[in-house]
Amino acid sequence: MSLTTNLSADGKNFTIQIKGKFDFNLVQEFRNAYADIGEQTPKIVIDLRETEYMDSSALGMLLNMQKNLGTRVESIRIANCRPQIKKILQISRFDKKFDID
Amino acid sequence: MQILVVDDQELNRTMLQFMLESEGFKVSLAADGEAAIESFKEIEPDIILLDVVMPKMDGYTVAPILKKMAGDKHLPIIFITALDDQKSMLKCLEVGGDDFLAKPFDKVILSAKIKAHSRSREQSARISKQNAALIYHQNQTEREHQIVEHIFSNALKSNNYEEHIVRHHLSPASMFNGDLFLTNRSPMGGAYILLGDFTGHGLAAAVGALPTAQTFFTMTAKGLSVGDIAQEINLQLLHLLPDDMFCAACIVELSSTGKTLSLWSGGMPDSLLLSSKSGLKKRIPSQHMALGILEANEFDNDAYHLEVTPEESIILYTDGVIEASNESGDMFGQERLEACYQANPTAAIEDIIRSLKRFSGTAEQEDDVSIAQIHCLAATEVEQSNDDELANLPWQFQVEIGPEEIKSTDPVSHTLDMVSAFKGVQQHRSALFLLLAELYNNALDHGLLNLDSSTKNDTEDGFFQYYCNRQEALDNLNEGLIRIEAKFLPHEHILQFTVQDSGQGFDYQAMANLDNLNNQHGRGVSLINEICHHIEYSNGGSTVVVQYKIDQQQPTANLL
Repeated sequence: MSLTTNLSADGKNFTIQIKGKFDFNLVQEFRNAYADIGEQTPKIVIDLRETEYMDSSALGMLLNMQKNLGTRVESIRIANCRPQIKKILQISRFDKKFDID
Repeated sequence: MQILVVDDQELNRTMLQFMLESEGFKVSLAADGEAAIESFKEIEPDIILLDVVMPKMDGYTVAPILKKMAGDKHLPIIFITALDDQKSMLKCLEVGGDDFLAKPFDKVILSAKIKAHSRSREQSARISKQNAALIYHQNQTEREHQIVEHIFSNALKSNNYEEHIVRHHLSPASMFNGDLFLTNRSPMGGAYILLGDFTGHGLAAAVGALPTAQTFFTMTAKGLSVGDIAQEINLQLLHLLPDDMFCAACIVELSSTGKTLSLWSGGMPDSLLLSSKSGLKKRIPSQHMALGILEANEFDNDAYHLEVTPEESIILYTDGVIEASNESGDMFGQERLEACYQANPTAAIEDIIRSLKRFSGTAEQEDDVSIAQIHCLAATEVEQSNDDELANLPWQFQVEIGPEEIKSTDPVSHTLDMVSAFKGVQQHRSALFLLLAELYNNALDHGLLNLDSSTKNDTEDGFFQYYCNRQEALDNLNEGLIRIEAKFLPHEHILQFTVQDSGQGFDYQAMANLDNLNNQHGRGVSLINEICHHIEYSNGGSTVVVQYKIDQQQPTANLL
């Protein structure tokens, strides 16, 4: 389980990638990851390509981030979900609140 | 040197034998043409002294037969003759004779002639030996090429792509392609494409294809990002390839919806973003050095990220396309390539190759030519492979977890590992993790730690605070028990979990009714409701039994 962040070379995309388990153990780290996002970073990508598991606290963290960043960013996209993770986001109706790719 | 003397006159034979043996040559004798032919194989002569006029078979008849018997090796034939008319001498040469020896014999001339012909005989023997060796090596190489070609075609056969998304054309300049085209589906349903170009062409350039393909398929099966894949291949090639060899490459990932595309490109010509309506939209230059050059700490895995539409496509190509020359030495060039798309934005790969061939005319192809087009379309759903049949065996196990285990281990993961070890359960891991995590956390948070979920509400800080309180309560925990029982009901295809805690229970009814998008607490309980086929609380909420249906056709159907 690990969390990595990456700002694209043009500074427009900020990616948070979560490996393995996305659960309450990441509460603090996840919050710190987006705490310093400035005005120059219009697009946030949560890259779940290596996320195998998530629990309800992960959903909570995502909602909190959306509340916190609000209109400061152009978009928050949840990207590269594996089918099983995508299903969990769908049953949680997250597709209504997030751009899920 | 073995010399065969063929003469019907004994005196001549004896004289020649004497002269030659005194010079150190080995001599065999035959009294006529037939005898010469009969003894040929056994004697294996290097030079033949042949009389013209003989009974049974004369020298003119026997000479071509002996020449033929000698095969590829040059067999000098020296006619022994008293004849000095032009016509007979010409005939000797016509039937394959190489020289004449006049009667009466002169020892000095005989010896000189034999030595001269020995040299040409030896030379011919050497050449025919070298030829045999060459043929052997040629066959060997051909066989090795066939084996390597077989391995290559098998190694690259695992390419997996959808034709409506990926189109490509490859034409190697020689038997082996130094260009490499790889595709795979990602676990997320999207597409990965790699177009590579090794230094040079032919077998030497193609050897790098194997480790590259191996790494590509391993990394794409894990669903890694293009930058991470590039990094891994770079490392692999850095170790394997000689310093002057590397691989220019472009790695693309198109998401399953076809809406986003990432591209890592090193040492390749500009990739082209096209619109099927307006032609060229954007050139995407390579930002990086080719693979196999930079050390791990110098490597940059930063990629381009594009949001794309169904009208758009990306063109990848190797420098063989733009560096293809015509007879006057002009190159096709990127401008001509772009002009093709400006003139016809919906041009297919085949159209481009046709234009390229028309341009090159009869000029020989010097480098491998490869071009690929990736249409930004949604992928068709990946069929979930479901090879593991559920075993019809009822099983159950139980785990009892006390404060020690709660603090020092990860009971959810361990229980999940045990359950997943049973055949047919693997593809349900994500849902089962969610299920077990929610049940266990409810039992722990509310049963043993007596936390109040409502503190999660309203603010981000409240949410964070909840987990701080939880940690604190956990540190102080020194009694209590959580029991997890897992059970498989084979006839119903049901996995049943019973989670029981030693606490006071909680208000599960109130929680299950909460709207899960807008409330921070209770989301877990309502998720369980959605995932499970059956759920039952008892003992005031301190015991919960859930049933999860393992549907073999669609493993995640009960999640919808």
